[in-house]
Amino acid sequence: MLESIKITCFALAYLITLVLEGSRLFFRVPVRMALIVGMAWAGLITHTLYLTHRGMTVAEGSLPLSSWYDWYLVAAWIIAAAYVLLLTSRPETSVGMFLLPLTLLLIGTAYPLRDTGSFQREQAIFSWEAAHGIALLLGTVTVTLGFAAGVMYLIQSYRLKRHLSPRQGLRLPSLEWLQRMNQQMLFHSTFLIALGLLAGIVLNAVKRSSLESAVPWNDSVVISSSLLLIWLISSSTFELFYKPAQQGRKVAYMTVASFGFLMLVLAILSLSDSPHAKSQGGASADPPAVITPVEEPAA
Amino acid sequence: MKLHMLGCSHHNSDVETRERLAFNPEQTKQALAQFKARFPQTEAVLLSTCNRVEIYLATDVPDFAPSHHDVVQFLADFHGLVPEQVFNELFEHTGEDFVRHLFTVAASLDSMVIGEAQILTQVKQAYELATTEASTGPLTNAAFQAALRVAKRVTNETAIHQKRVSIPSVAVAEYAREFFEHFDDKRVVVLGAGEMGEETLRYLQDEGVRDIVVINRNLERGEALAERMGGRAAPWSSLHEELVAADLVVSATGAKEPIVTAADFKQIVAKRYQRTILILDLAIPRDFEAAIAELTGVYLYTIDDLSAACERNKEERKQEWPKAERLIEEETIRFMTDLNHRATAPTIRRLKARADEVKNDELMRLWNKLNTADERTRVEVTKAFERLVNKLLHPPLESLRDEASRGTPHGLLEALKRLFNLRE
Repeated sequence: MLESIKITCFALAYLITLVLEGSRLFFRVPVRMALIVGMAWAGLITHTLYLTHRGMTVAEGSLPLSSWYDWYLVAAWIIAAAYVLLLTSRPETSVGMFLLPLTLLLIGTAYPLRDTGSFQREQAIFSWEAAHGIALLLGTVTVTLGFAAGVMYLIQSYRLKRHLSPRQGLRLPSLEWLQRMNQQMLFHSTFLIALGLLAGIVLNAVKRSSLESAVPWNDSVVISSSLLLIWLISSSTFELFYKPAQQGRKVAYMTVASFGFLMLVLAILSLSDSPHAKSQGGASADPPAVITPVEEPAA
Repeated sequence: MKLHMLGCSHHNSDVETRERLAFNPEQTKQALAQFKARFPQTEAVLLSTCNRVEIYLATDVPDFAPSHHDVVQFLADFHGLVPEQVFNELFEHTGEDFVRHLFTVAASLDSMVIGEAQILTQVKQAYELATTEASTGPLTNAAFQAALRVAKRVTNETAIHQKRVSIPSVAVAEYAREFFEHFDDKRVVVLGAGEMGEETLRYLQDEGVRDIVVINRNLERGEALAERMGGRAAPWSSLHEELVAADLVVSATGAKEPIVTAADFKQIVAKRYQRTILILDLAIPRDFEAAIAELTGVYLYTIDDLSAACERNKEERKQEWPKAERLIEEETIRFMTDLNHRATAPTIRRLKARADEVKNDELMRLWNKLNTADERTRVEVTKAFERLVNKLLHPPLESLRDEASRGTPHGLLEALKRLFNLRE
């Protein structure tokens, strides 16, 4: 069934969404927002399935999601996912007018490159390892910043609730600022950790397809990282859709708990004999490479 | 030269006495005009606030300066009082103490609430009014301009003015800012249309608050306050709906019972989805039940919580006192030294003029006798005479300057006048 999904499916869904977004400038229609959300999700889901299928079905001599065509589509997917998130959190804004044309531009750029061959094995592994590492690094930083903001929020809230002088001793930012920081860090960390894990999945697929030793899917680091991501997605969803969770201490508790999950992942990574750490160690020894396609695109 | 101040303040007299002697701006104008007519050679500035009534006098001609009794008589006459009624209520400062007191008052170190900013404006206004009425002169100009400068130094170089001490200012500057980053997107609901609520609103407006809702049992009074503050009034019946939408509540009604109970507020919290709300309950007795403070997302401050912060700030201001006092002392000494130097200036000028006169007479006599002297010789001789005069005058002038740094050298000035036969 997945092979029946074509690039035109999600491109069309995004195009319709863009047209609907554009119509917001001119007239009001009661069901339009539902249509926009529906089409955006339809586009993102088909886009995801299309990429999943391409990652899973690799022709002989090729590597999964490791060509210019795949990369443009992955970039388009990231922008489309960001749009869907923003549409959910700020439905009153017209960010789609700016993000959807970029998504369509990337898809349009990818299309002529559909027959291009994949990168060389070392280059592909290096690129996906870099994407995996950088996204997880930034995700770790945002989870940690969220933890700091969460702890500060809880201290500030405790002091203000008990009428302790906020001007004496420890000076902290306002509750409003800390709450906003918490929310932003929660969303950003979810996005970055998700990207990092997806890049890791592709990296593993690339390694498997080239018969190189890959990290097993039941590896303790993979499982704990997935748990962290599930927690972050749950927290973000809870934050987005359950109104009381959008206020005050609940967000702070969620960011503090996220840090707990992160610590668990890092502890497993450092202390266990997981092959994950070893494979990362090997990656760092790889020389940086310039990405060049195996075959030139057809003119 | 004589500097003389006389007055009463919250330190030494009760409010009734201060009220009896107080001057409104129109009366101040009249009093200055009358004083000038009675003592034309005396400069005068009249400072009248709710905590003090003080008249600052200065003259270069001490013989014509009014005495303590004269000033008491003048004040009593102006207010239609018997001098004995107020004589014991008035204190005076002269010379260096006059300057020290003026600097202390302007720097708000003599105020009832130390560090309050209003007194500097009042001193400035008193000085400007006296200047407009042509009642000031070189001495009062120098003293008041120095006082304004010293007050600014105390503000900038000590933390005495940084700590807020009124309930509304502490509520906004120290607490509300800990909750909100911006105020321009916050809804403020004011319960009651009294002075406390209005004053707090003014501080909030300074922070950028624009969305104001006033709720008062008497809707007309609420509308009047809302109009003054650029907000809107809402009927008392909409209290709960307005609390659901509020970010900050300022409550200062005269109700004898709490107007919002914990049971009421539980429902409000549920409708707000636990969004943070800051409640400043400035009413006595309280408008919000104490149990409301326990609810999620609610931060309830009563007047007792804020008073504690005010008291703490007052104490911290007092700790800055020695630093401010040292600054006042340093500036007083500097001012008096400058003033004493100024007092010696006429005598020095006359002494130099007298020496020049003698020098020129002797040179004239010499040229008459040596009429064949060439131009070069004349120039050299003239220079020699000038050097001689300068060398002779240098020691007495140095002594005069040294003495002036310790106070007006009346004895030395008198001696110089008599020794060199200096005419007035």
